[in-house]
Amino acid sequence: MDTIQPVSDIGLRPNFQRHVRARDRRIRLRRILRGGAGILAILLVWQVMSQALDLDLLLPPPLTVLRNGVTTLSLSDSHWLYGPNIYVHLWHSFLRAMAGFGAAAIIAIPLGLVLGRVGVLREFVLPAIKGVYPIPGIAWIPLAILWFGLGDAAVVFVVFATTFFPLFFTTEAGARQINPTVLDAGRCFGARGITLFFRVVLPATVPFIITGLRISLGGAWRMIVAGEMLASQDGIGYVLMESRFQFRAVDLMTAMILIAIVGYVTEKAIVDTIEKRTLEKWEVKPS
Amino acid sequence: MKRRTLLALPGLIALESRGARAADRIKVGMLKPNIVTVIYWIAVRTGAFEKNGLEIAENPFPSGQTAAGIEQLMRGGLDFYLGASGEVAHADSRYVEAGKPPPIALIEGGIAGGSFLVLQNAVQGQTLDQLRGQKLRIGISNPSSYHLILLRAFLRDHGMTTDDFKWQFLTVGGPEMLPAMVSHQLDGFLHDALTTTLALRSKVGFVFMSSDRGDMGEQAKLLPGTGVCGNRAFMDKNPDVARRFAQALRDASAAYDAAPKEQMVAVMAEWSRQDPAVIDDVYDRFNPRVGMTRQAVQVWWDLLGSAMLARGEISPKLTLNDIFDLRFIRSE
Repeated sequence: MDTIQPVSDIGLRPNFQRHVRARDRRIRLRRILRGGAGILAILLVWQVMSQALDLDLLLPPPLTVLRNGVTTLSLSDSHWLYGPNIYVHLWHSFLRAMAGFGAAAIIAIPLGLVLGRVGVLREFVLPAIKGVYPIPGIAWIPLAILWFGLGDAAVVFVVFATTFFPLFFTTEAGARQINPTVLDAGRCFGARGITLFFRVVLPATVPFIITGLRISLGGAWRMIVAGEMLASQDGIGYVLMESRFQFRAVDLMTAMILIAIVGYVTEKAIVDTIEKRTLEKWEVKPS
Repeated sequence: MKRRTLLALPGLIALESRGARAADRIKVGMLKPNIVTVIYWIAVRTGAFEKNGLEIAENPFPSGQTAAGIEQLMRGGLDFYLGASGEVAHADSRYVEAGKPPPIALIEGGIAGGSFLVLQNAVQGQTLDQLRGQKLRIGISNPSSYHLILLRAFLRDHGMTTDDFKWQFLTVGGPEMLPAMVSHQLDGFLHDALTTTLALRSKVGFVFMSSDRGDMGEQAKLLPGTGVCGNRAFMDKNPDVARRFAQALRDASAAYDAAPKEQMVAVMAEWSRQDPAVIDDVYDRFNPRVGMTRQAVQVWWDLLGSAMLARGEISPKLTLNDIFDLRFIRSE
């Protein structure tokens, strides 16, 4: 009787893998090129508009902003008016953002998991959380200043209040919508209680948590700027506000671009790492 | 009765000037409620604008939002703005640096400074040197606050900068300074006569420095505490309107001088939304009149201009004529 040879044995598998790798590379390159072309087109329009309409004081051209960015980051700006250097501001903003975001994650994820799985508790708690949810983060600032005073605590609280909700709702939705068949399968294998939670519930909810983390981290950076503009004397939000009062649009735009870069890097470093560690560990496929 | 007389005053003046010419409508921005811009309201209440053939479209900005007003003025959304001086230099400097003509100019200003550094009673120290090592949180209304520039100018004259102190300058709106001090969120503030009076009345602080007392240097007594600025394009096109606008504010200043204290207290309380008893206290500490002289312009430039220049806030290319439009400033 003929036996079926494994694909690897007949030499198809390495070729196939090479082909897949090459295809992935091509797709990645195409994506980078298309994204780069989009960004380049925007920069070009921006440069031309700024020069043609003589808007350099209101909308400094990208080359000017780039030059200013280099000067700022190399600490060679002789007209630096914003106290400590840019790295100190960024570091302080980062710490505040991470403190608020971290506190939100510590509370929102477990709470979301519990409420997602325990219907009775959900019925008690969810209406209250949904009631507070529509309050925009910025509306918390006056109250935060009243409760915590001017300074870091108020800013951290505002970041917390902004990042908590997306993280909570995505986690809760993820935990609630786990396919009962998956849970039954877990139970069939003898998983109960904590084991079921760690082996089935948590891995099944991870893609939702990752999405929540991504949305919340973006929110943290958006809110840190608003908070620092009102209740701080350092941080990137402070630099933004001060540059507005100095009418330095180029500094304003440089600070905005730095926020975008730091926000992107933070997301890559934190969320992507968590995603890689958890999804790969539990072999969960994002839906 | 007095209130009724006051309210009837603009009507009488308007009747008198009716028929002479149609009023020119101008867009004016100002900080409101804010004691430093009260001369505007005195002009409204005493009919000074009508007398000078002007009809005002009022555009208020909350305390601390001077930059928003100046941005509007630069764009032409306003013709005149009350409540800024340092910001005019900052904005004009950006244009001069770019080789462009400055878009706005100061055309009038307050007579006296009225800058105060108020500290909490608990703060120990009688001299600046004693405060040097203390980590104090000082409230300012905005990062380019006139009061902060003045303090920097004073420190510079004494071979110091604000960096020599361990102070934190926190941006807090004028109305929030006192609550922030009461709740120990601030150790002091740099602000105007009204906020100072409120702090003294509630016994939470004491005046550590006062520009009127000469604590910030003798020249600071001559500095205009507030500025009146205009859009240059508008003023070049309508120099007569600009002249009449400045004149209306001077007329209001004269009316302030002539009016009994209680009448002016009522007007000031209305504008600043304060208890008349508070304004009664402020009255002797604050002079809302305008009438900036060329000498005051020079003092402004020598003191504040050089402080801003030393900090790199304004360009070395910027001149006094870029900031002030001397056509509208009194010659003496």
